[in-house]
Amino acid sequence: MNILGVSCFYHDSAACLIKDGNVIAAASEERFNRQKNSSAFPSNAINFCLQTGDITVNDIDYIGFYEKPFLKFYRVILNHLQAYPFSLKNFMDILPSWLQDRLIMPLVFKKELGFSKDPLFIKHHLSHAASSFLVSPFGEAAILTADGVGEWATLTFGFGKGNDIKIIQEMHYPDSFGLLYTAVTTYLGFEALEGEGTVMGLAAYGKPTYLDKFKDMVLVKSDGSFKINQAFFGFNRGSRMYSNRFIKTFGKERKPLDKVEERHCDIAASLQRFIEESLVIIARNLYNYTKMEKLCLAGGLFLNCVANAKILEETPFKQVFIQPAAGDSGGALGAASYIYHTLLGNSRKFILQNAYLGPSFSSNQIKRMLINHQIDYRELDELRLIKYVARRISEGKIIGWFQGRMEFGPRALGNRSILADPRNPNMKELLNAKVKNREPFRPYAPAVLEERAADFFKAKQFSPFMLLATNVKDDKKKAIPAVTHIDGTARVQIVSKSTNPRFWNLISEFENMTGIPVLINTSFNLKGEPIVCSPEDALTDFKRSQMDILVLENYILEK
Amino acid sequence: MLCKKCVLPEAKPDIVLSADGICNICIDFEKRKTLKQDNVILESEVIKVLNKYRAKGRHDCLVMCSGGKDSTLALYYMKKRYRMNPLAFTFDHGFENEEALVNIKKAVNILGLDWVYYKSNFMKDVFAKIIESKTQAPICHVCAIWYLWFTHELAARFNIPLIVAGWTKGQSLHKGETGAEYNTMSAATSDFIANCLHKDPKYRDFPRSIKEVLARSRKKFKTEAISPHWVLPYEPDRIKEILEAELGWRPTKLSYPLNSTNCIMNFVSVYLCMKNFGFTHYHIEMSKLIRLGELTREEALKLLEINFDEKFINTIVNKIGCSLKG
Repeated sequence: MNILGVSCFYHDSAACLIKDGNVIAAASEERFNRQKNSSAFPSNAINFCLQTGDITVNDIDYIGFYEKPFLKFYRVILNHLQAYPFSLKNFMDILPSWLQDRLIMPLVFKKELGFSKDPLFIKHHLSHAASSFLVSPFGEAAILTADGVGEWATLTFGFGKGNDIKIIQEMHYPDSFGLLYTAVTTYLGFEALEGEGTVMGLAAYGKPTYLDKFKDMVLVKSDGSFKINQAFFGFNRGSRMYSNRFIKTFGKERKPLDKVEERHCDIAASLQRFIEESLVIIARNLYNYTKMEKLCLAGGLFLNCVANAKILEETPFKQVFIQPAAGDSGGALGAASYIYHTLLGNSRKFILQNAYLGPSFSSNQIKRMLINHQIDYRELDELRLIKYVARRISEGKIIGWFQGRMEFGPRALGNRSILADPRNPNMKELLNAKVKNREPFRPYAPAVLEERAADFFKAKQFSPFMLLATNVKDDKKKAIPAVTHIDGTARVQIVSKSTNPRFWNLISEFENMTGIPVLINTSFNLKGEPIVCSPEDALTDFKRSQMDILVLENYILEK
Repeated sequence: MLCKKCVLPEAKPDIVLSADGICNICIDFEKRKTLKQDNVILESEVIKVLNKYRAKGRHDCLVMCSGGKDSTLALYYMKKRYRMNPLAFTFDHGFENEEALVNIKKAVNILGLDWVYYKSNFMKDVFAKIIESKTQAPICHVCAIWYLWFTHELAARFNIPLIVAGWTKGQSLHKGETGAEYNTMSAATSDFIANCLHKDPKYRDFPRSIKEVLARSRKKFKTEAISPHWVLPYEPDRIKEILEAELGWRPTKLSYPLNSTNCIMNFVSVYLCMKNFGFTHYHIEMSKLIRLGELTREEALKLLEINFDEKFINTIVNKIGCSLKG
């Protein structure tokens, strides 16, 4: 039984293949077509998934699409009518794309893939819910999903038992925490669907002095439902997501190149606090309703690792599961899982224990690429390579680390990563200056040996997918300054020997040399680009940046 | 002097090396890559074509199979990976290697396929004319034109609208490529066919180029031609493993390049091309594979090493009553 899940035509297009209940492959289209957050039909990702599964499109039993386009279009029409005449231009801009593809998905699948059966359409938030619960280690769990908007739903909560999912309540557009976060992100001068993480980082530098204003703007009721005063926003107008009234309340918007002022930090902090508090209220209600101790989170909003941690800390839930592609790319995984388990009634046997579902490249392929680019390289056996790289990291070098299968989801988790020494207090600035060119207020994340995580970080639970922020223990803050954010938190990834032995060995070797079982782990990409997919992408970024060393499997390149 | 990136020598006006020693073909390739004009074909595109013709007649496609690894693998993919019902077709102009024929027999038996084996003396005189006329037209080019045309005719006779070949990524022109490196060879081929071959009534219908074959075929038969190797990972060692395990395939003792073409006349073609141009169509193919990252320059140079001499070539041309001496 082969099921292909597909998400596309909004942002973060992706494909996922489930073969007899096992997730065989999953990848975002952006990694192949090299367009960040690509919304294109994921032809490359689909071809990769099918070839990994050693099948062709003729062997696919079902294709699942991650939302219901007609239901969504109905909402789009109604919302634009409500905002007429201001919405007219925006509507005319988006109409062709609906007519050309989103409303004719069966034809799209036939045209693009030659798949002539009818695809199955799974509601957007149900896809999110399925993407988390159905691949979680939990037999039963409460489920909370939240993002910008799906068809109508912007936030849902429910629960899963066995292979079934029940949605208890939905919040509908335009009441959306996801859109609120994105609107404020753009107001603060950062890019929509890209800068939300930046705002989360900025929040730690401010005080929540505007929290009351957010509370005035958004009414969160005790039952967890909420209402956003739309006079502050303009989600359908096209030009910008916030209104003049929002500007009147919060002051002049920041332009992308403007200096970040204290006011901007305070607004970010207030937004972050408001979202955390609201999600905690909602999650508590969900707990009261379900009385389940485990919680599955999904949807773009739950890429916010600080809010995720607050939910875990401030609600009765004992364990939380968030899969690495929590945003729309994960919809492909959810749609396929939902069909296999819930619609077809197959029992669950697959647990998503790692994110390594993308393409890998053989030593031969890498060697050929290096030779053809006339690059000097060295080949080391694994043991020597680990020792060498650990030593070079401890000497302050910045390493491009490329191995195995690419990660699914927006986080680099040790296979397409840039690694550096967390002990060096200047490393964040060095990384920013030499490679990443990121805003100075954004923290870098630590990857820590699973066994040693509790020695360095305080948390109820750790995430292998870098999706739960933790507090750095007071006595360790000085030991790992480069990954300790200004508020004393860190976006930890725990690394286990069983899921990524090579990366585990590297950190372990670094610990042998330095006493610190932690490395800085940031995504292997340059500003504005998707994370690298192929060795050639990695080589290009290595050449274009001031990375010191590039490791491609067992091959080492140095500048 | 060879290009520093691929294995093409300077051969003006088609192939020109820059001051850095890089050929115009490599420079053009990089330019298209930068502009994202390299048009990668995906497997789904090939499957769409296959599905168009699946189960429409007695056979779904006709597979050109010489018994070499690429064509035998194409046959294998059609049956096993794509579950088509292919008709295997082998054209033997009298110089096919016996071991290669054994490979095909094993493959069609194991895969349970219908097979058309067509042996003809038609090309024998053509080869003789090429050698006697001292034209620069590569033997393999002329032969490939006829083989492809005859395949289209045969496909039409069997009412098969799809032809499948074992062409590698290096043997095919993709959108945006001009094929400039073939220009002089192609011109010599067209010139030979028009001015020498067509004078003989037996060969009056002989197409002058692959382009003409495709144009004629589009008009007359409406057949399509594809290769699975355009879209599937190409790892020669892995391919060999699959073929040996699944089809009992064995590499032939005589082959140029290694594990590649088995036709005996190919050796003569290579010998004459090296003499006339300093490179062969294998240099072109492998250069493209190098650009695509599927081969290194060193691997290509090794595969392209000439492993035969003039004495060996003469034993072949003597079979058609010719000699290369003088």
